[in-house]
Amino acid sequence: MSLRELFHNTTLADRIIFSLMIVLSLSGIAFIKEILPDNSTLHIYVDGRPAYILPLDKNRVVSVEGPQGKTVVEIKDHQVRIIESPCHNKLCIQTGWVSSGAIVCLPNRVVVTLGDPDKHKKTVDATTG
Amino acid sequence: MQQQDKYRIALLSAFALGLHGFENLLPSPIPWLRLGLANIVTLITLLLYGMRPALMVTLIRVMLASLIAGSFLGPAFILSLGGGIASTLIMGFVLHIAPRLFSTMGLSIIGALFHNLAQLFLAYFLFIQRIEAILLITPVIILFGTLTGTVNGAVSALLMKNLIKYDQKVQNVNEVK
Repeated sequence: MSLRELFHNTTLADRIIFSLMIVLSLSGIAFIKEILPDNSTLHIYVDGRPAYILPLDKNRVVSVEGPQGKTVVEIKDHQVRIIESPCHNKLCIQTGWVSSGAIVCLPNRVVVTLGDPDKHKKTVDATTG
Repeated sequence: MQQQDKYRIALLSAFALGLHGFENLLPSPIPWLRLGLANIVTLITLLLYGMRPALMVTLIRVMLASLIAGSFLGPAFILSLGGGIASTLIMGFVLHIAPRLFSTMGLSIIGALFHNLAQLFLAYFLFIQRIEAILLITPVIILFGTLTGTVNGAVSALLMKNLIKYDQKVQNVNEVK
């Protein structure tokens, strides 16, 4: 029995359910990430200590108190930038919008990192004595 | 149950077990992706002898395969058992209520689909309890399940046709005698 004969032996319901399953699963693969909540987070550290852990899917403006004054962080559409900083060279503000990685304000000791921290958590491979 | 039926079930279970074992030997790109070759035997049993023998063949196959592999009563066994029972029941049910609606191919796709759904359901309630992880993997599993289900259905259809042809030949010979 050839493949063509095999195809002719299928019923209409066969073809419908096959196409339906293929279309549904492909669209599922394409869209499931959009539907699921984004659980990546924004971590703000001041002087090496964690100060804030914030969800990235909520737009907001946060003010962080550092040793030199207030650093204002804005979250919008999964991106982050620093709007205001008391430091004098404003490198953190010049960094602009960031969607992955980190923004660092050294004078004010503020570090903003993005993403799931567990994913990148590194342990020591080996130590020598 | 007649003595002859017992022999048939034993033979078919042995075929299913053989395919199941063979399938385990095949390298798979993704660990949980399986071809479900044993479903061919289940489907053939269902079409030739009906629901009860098919269910028995599935149960015997799953039990023995897990005993041989050493995963009896483990997570893999529970998933395999749940998937096997669900797919056999649904194929039997569809065949019972609408025998002409689906061909062998369609039955195989439905069986594969319910096999996957039952496994995902069991995995969620017993082992993973993270709905987003299950939802993320569901479409991928269903896509591969539909494809392998189609291939298994095609093999089953070919097998059925040849079995019927062989059966007729045997009958003809008997009539001539």
